[in-house]
Amino acid sequence: MQTIPTTCIYCGCGCGLMLHVEEGRVVAASPQINHPLSQGHLCLKGWLAYQFLDHPDRLRRPMIRKGERLVPSSWDQALDLARDELSTLLRESGPASLGVLTSAKASNEENFLLMKLARAGLKTNNVDHVARLCHAPTLAALSSALGSGSMTNPIVSLRKSDMILVAGSNTTEQHPLVAFHILQARKTGAEIVVVDPRRTAMARLADLHLAPLPGTDAAWINGLLRAILDLGLEDRQFIEARTEGFEEARAALDPYTPQMVEQVTNIPADDLVLAASKLGSANRAAFVYAMGITQHYWGTDNVQALANLALATGNVGRDGTGIYPLRGHQNVQGACDMGALPDYYSGYQPVSSSRSRFERAWKTDLPAEIGLTAVEMMDAAQAGRIKGMIISGENPMLSFPDQTQVRAALEELDFLLVVDIFPTETARLANVVLPAASFAEKEGTFTSTERRVQLARGAVSPPGEAWPEWRIWADLLTRFEVDCLYESAAQIMEEIASLTPSYGGISHSRLGTGGLVWPCPNHDHPGTPILHVDSFPIGRARFRPVEYKAPSEKPDEEYPFLLTTGRSLFQFHTGTMTRRVPLLEREVPEPFLDISPPDARQLGLKDGTYISVESRRGRLIARARVTPDVNPGHLFLPIHFLEGPANLLTSRYRDPISGMPALKEAAVRLRRL
Amino acid sequence: MDGREMRDYIPYQVEIVDIDRVTSDSYLISLQILDREVFRYRPGQFIMVSVFGLGECPISIASTPTRNTLQICIRRAGKITSGIMDSMIGDVLGVRGPCGNGFPLDFMKKDILIAGGGSGFATLRSLINFIADRREQFGNVAVAYGARTRQDLYFMQEYKGWQMAGIQVAVTVDVGDQGWTGNVGMVTSLLDRLEIPPGSAAICGPPVMINSVAARLMEKGFQLPDIFVSLERHMKCGVGKCEHCMIGPHHVCMEGPVFSYDRVRQYL
Amino acid sequence: MISYLKKADLPDLLQAWADKMDVLAPILEEGQISFTTWKGQPLDLSANALVSPAKIISPREEILFRYIQESGTYRFLRPDQKPRLIFGMRPCDLRALQVLDRIYGAPPPDQAYLDRRRSAVLAVLNCTNPGPGCFCAALGAGPDADEGYDLLFTDLGNGYLVESGSPAGIVLIKNSPDLLPAVSDLADSLLTDKGRVVGLCRDQVISSFPGMSVERIREGMESAEWERLGQICSYCAGCSFVCPVCHCFTIYDRGVPDGQRIRCADSCMTSGFSRLTSGSNPRPSQGDRLRNWYLDKFEYILARTGLAGCVGCGRCSQVCLSPDICLRSFLESLCSREMTTNKFADAGESKGEGKSIRK
Repeated sequence: MQTIPTTCIYCGCGCGLMLHVEEGRVVAASPQINHPLSQGHLCLKGWLAYQFLDHPDRLRRPMIRKGERLVPSSWDQALDLARDELSTLLRESGPASLGVLTSAKASNEENFLLMKLARAGLKTNNVDHVARLCHAPTLAALSSALGSGSMTNPIVSLRKSDMILVAGSNTTEQHPLVAFHILQARKTGAEIVVVDPRRTAMARLADLHLAPLPGTDAAWINGLLRAILDLGLEDRQFIEARTEGFEEARAALDPYTPQMVEQVTNIPADDLVLAASKLGSANRAAFVYAMGITQHYWGTDNVQALANLALATGNVGRDGTGIYPLRGHQNVQGACDMGALPDYYSGYQPVSSSRSRFERAWKTDLPAEIGLTAVEMMDAAQAGRIKGMIISGENPMLSFPDQTQVRAALEELDFLLVVDIFPTETARLANVVLPAASFAEKEGTFTSTERRVQLARGAVSPPGEAWPEWRIWADLLTRFEVDCLYESAAQIMEEIASLTPSYGGISHSRLGTGGLVWPCPNHDHPGTPILHVDSFPIGRARFRPVEYKAPSEKPDEEYPFLLTTGRSLFQFHTGTMTRRVPLLEREVPEPFLDISPPDARQLGLKDGTYISVESRRGRLIARARVTPDVNPGHLFLPIHFLEGPANLLTSRYRDPISGMPALKEAAVRLRRL
Repeated sequence: MDGREMRDYIPYQVEIVDIDRVTSDSYLISLQILDREVFRYRPGQFIMVSVFGLGECPISIASTPTRNTLQICIRRAGKITSGIMDSMIGDVLGVRGPCGNGFPLDFMKKDILIAGGGSGFATLRSLINFIADRREQFGNVAVAYGARTRQDLYFMQEYKGWQMAGIQVAVTVDVGDQGWTGNVGMVTSLLDRLEIPPGSAAICGPPVMINSVAARLMEKGFQLPDIFVSLERHMKCGVGKCEHCMIGPHHVCMEGPVFSYDRVRQYL
Repeated sequence: MISYLKKADLPDLLQAWADKMDVLAPILEEGQISFTTWKGQPLDLSANALVSPAKIISPREEILFRYIQESGTYRFLRPDQKPRLIFGMRPCDLRALQVLDRIYGAPPPDQAYLDRRRSAVLAVLNCTNPGPGCFCAALGAGPDADEGYDLLFTDLGNGYLVESGSPAGIVLIKNSPDLLPAVSDLADSLLTDKGRVVGLCRDQVISSFPGMSVERIREGMESAEWERLGQICSYCAGCSFVCPVCHCFTIYDRGVPDGQRIRCADSCMTSGFSRLTSGSNPRPSQGDRLRNWYLDKFEYILARTGLAGCVGCGRCSQVCLSPDICLRSFLESLCSREMTTNKFADAGESKGEGKSIRK
């Protein structure tokens, strides 16, 4: 028996896991007692994080397309074919015809190498990943407001808060270990205010729950700030010493009286003022949010409004304060950090200004033109402008909005290379499928939502002929004649550190229990859990006026319900892993639709009735779950299920700033079956 | 039942020798045991049936030990039952068992009322056919059975034979339709149409039905300990180890699935 | 048989055993004690491991058998168990195995469990450093072991008193006469030292939850607000995964046409555990499930095996993601209730005495 310490694969919490190995099989996972975040706890998914590892569906051999079928091939054959096809497209249609989606499930080293392959090998900045569908608005808004698009404080900092505002986050289900710390803080006196259209468990346990209409976030956040200013509870000193643009932002708040907010959002005016007084009088307030804030037509504005709120109340840069965007994948932060973005290299170094640095390091020319975002790549593919794609560990067939269009786009491609651990719906459309090692079968680092860079260690060997993904990209880089020789993930981290100031002091040998929190500029630096303590990277933080704009799609007579989508505690993302874990699959084995009792009564639905859900884009069948946790007019559907893919229904309207699709704004109608 | 297969979980192998459609979504499947000479069981017992690759689940035995073929009745409910229904004649499944106690015929009175609802009727078919084959050992026997619709009624072609053997049979559906001329309503509504002197009862069905039938029988003079109910529970091992089937302190797989009503009433 | 081992000789003794079998011992892994194959690493015997060594015998996941299809029918292969020695298991975990022995051993006996059980030699270490949440003494499960071990070690400062409890244990002592010499003349004084060391530990454990007993817990359960507690539960099921007595399992298949039938730990804290395919659930709410977990531990298993289904190791409370509902806070609430309502406390106290002192 061996015990191997590593990091959980699921959400962005980055909990410490111990994997227990018997005879070459992982037979259990248990928590790390000394882990700074998880502190000896795990959620159900974490306890079971090993059970998909030896599933017979795991990809074990490279496969190449022969007509309608994918047939096994050798690694050489498959990699040669990928090189040939991609180089032909590069030669004949130019670098703009290629696109790369990296994986928020892959390691930092793997994201970095694939980003390097895109830029140095394929000569394109068309590189992006699933953050486009979760926290692109955060990156856009917080970068411009604070100078860094990441969580400002470590999660345990919440234990020091007097007041925690949780907005658009079903924390107990999506980030159970964050919820754990919030609820522990509550025990020691912190007040919790939850803003969510749904009565989530966190909302039930909160001191105050405000339930706005979906898509009206900018209105209540502005209203909250206005009420705080009216009460004179802003932090004048902080505003004057550390920020700029306050007066313009303040002027724009005029219309957002509690009454106006009530009209727009349905939040009672008194509740809003109560929340404002709680927030304004707190010494240390924290702002926790997730997809409920970002997945909107105006997602960037929503985040900016929250930043305005935090700045005006002086709640940045101290323990117990801060802005906490909760990230959904264990390495979505790392994929961003590694420059899997169309406009940035690693460490958010802009393509516009840092190109020569990377050209020198990589000894090759790099493209100057900013690339396409993930969703734009799908448009370009459908239009025939992108002809070849590499998709690593991502399943856009289920996770991207408007599934019908995604299928059409991927089918339109001349060449698609997919790397994954399971045969996903996306892999079925590929020309070449390469089998990857899972988190328990390779070395590498993951960066959690709190910027904590942690080591994942190989506990067992990969199944069949699967390779760690970094080896695939290193091999392809060589085939594209980019100078590189990597023998281990640790070596790749050396290159990352040398090119990325915020990771400058990070090396595998330094990463013990709990890893290191970036920025960590040099080898003696202990890491920086709390950002913006004395100053902002941009000097002063910037207020920006935010105006509430109506959601992209509103219920009407034809489509009378507003649908929001999300996850369940027991499944993860498109279910490629959790649906293969018997206990998790048993908990939620099929798509369900949360509907309020009055709506159910009116439609004559009972708990468990199958029902057809239809939007302007598609239709699916789900099982009604009648619950008072959603308000009349509002429906909730999880995204995990191929047999009821929520993204058949979702809208492709996009936030004009970040490119985030308005995933939480779809008008639908219901039909009994 | 303490056979090798119950100790090490390795099932016997059975070949599917016949498949009969019972309703639109259920089949009666006849099994031939390949690696075992004799297979002794009692009405009311169940077996753990495996589809290799999908898993194992408990299934009531629908046949009577008085006849040769081992039969199970399968309705498409989950992954494994679907796997069994998708199997073909000649396919090999696994079987462990028989499990559980079965109906305590030695302790039951000669006059027997058999009441069933829905798919719970499969285990009662075993009992009814057993009685039909040993008719002389029993007194007044009546069957009350209900399903959701006419299409959901199990074993319709067998009712005649039971009646010929001197067993009263009354059937009801929850939802009637044009082709249905019989009773519409709950199983309890049949009890007054049958001649049922107080004796023993064997009931299988959803808890609500069990409770209402038992209540009505007690009004008719049945004694609590003479009412036997067969319970359905989630099960994995069939040998009292996995704990899924616990109902209060009782293991349904070992102490049941047939309980006298007074023992389990508080848990239903 | 009684012997004495100098502390400095412990690595040599482990090495002598490791030459013959897999020796599993508490070893520090990322700052955390974990039962791992011993290959000369330093041991950490300062506290019990979060993952009980009982899980080596009753693992979270194991292959029951492999099925191999050959011309339509199947061939089955059961895995072999290699000989193991578990060093440093605490009495609470030994008690857990004794409970599991009775459950898995009840007819029909469970072969997979028995294979693992019989392949393992248990070198138990009497507890001298209980954790803050330990209450083994209240349940008669510790801090010292009185039966069921092959070898029993007690830390007497410079060395260990080593007692054999089975023929296998006697053989192990006899096989290493240099390291484990017989101490017939010193036996009485060593046993006196043991009594003192164990007694101190017992006092320490009892002082955390004074007067606690199975009866007190059962009385407390009658007035517990299960539904309210169920609503706070975070649904992590950690309690059932770390409990050394928890043994609920499910069985699933991996592979077509050849593959493995695997048994893995299940949790009665999940809704799917008792839910039928029809959708109906005999234990529909988390409150029902929480209550059932307590009932199983303090009533059903007790009735079934004569031993409580809880050994007082405190692990469930250590991992609980909603610490307000953990067993430890339940016990704390019972203890504080004693202060406020004397009548209740008296009843609990007098009943509790008999049970909490075992010998």
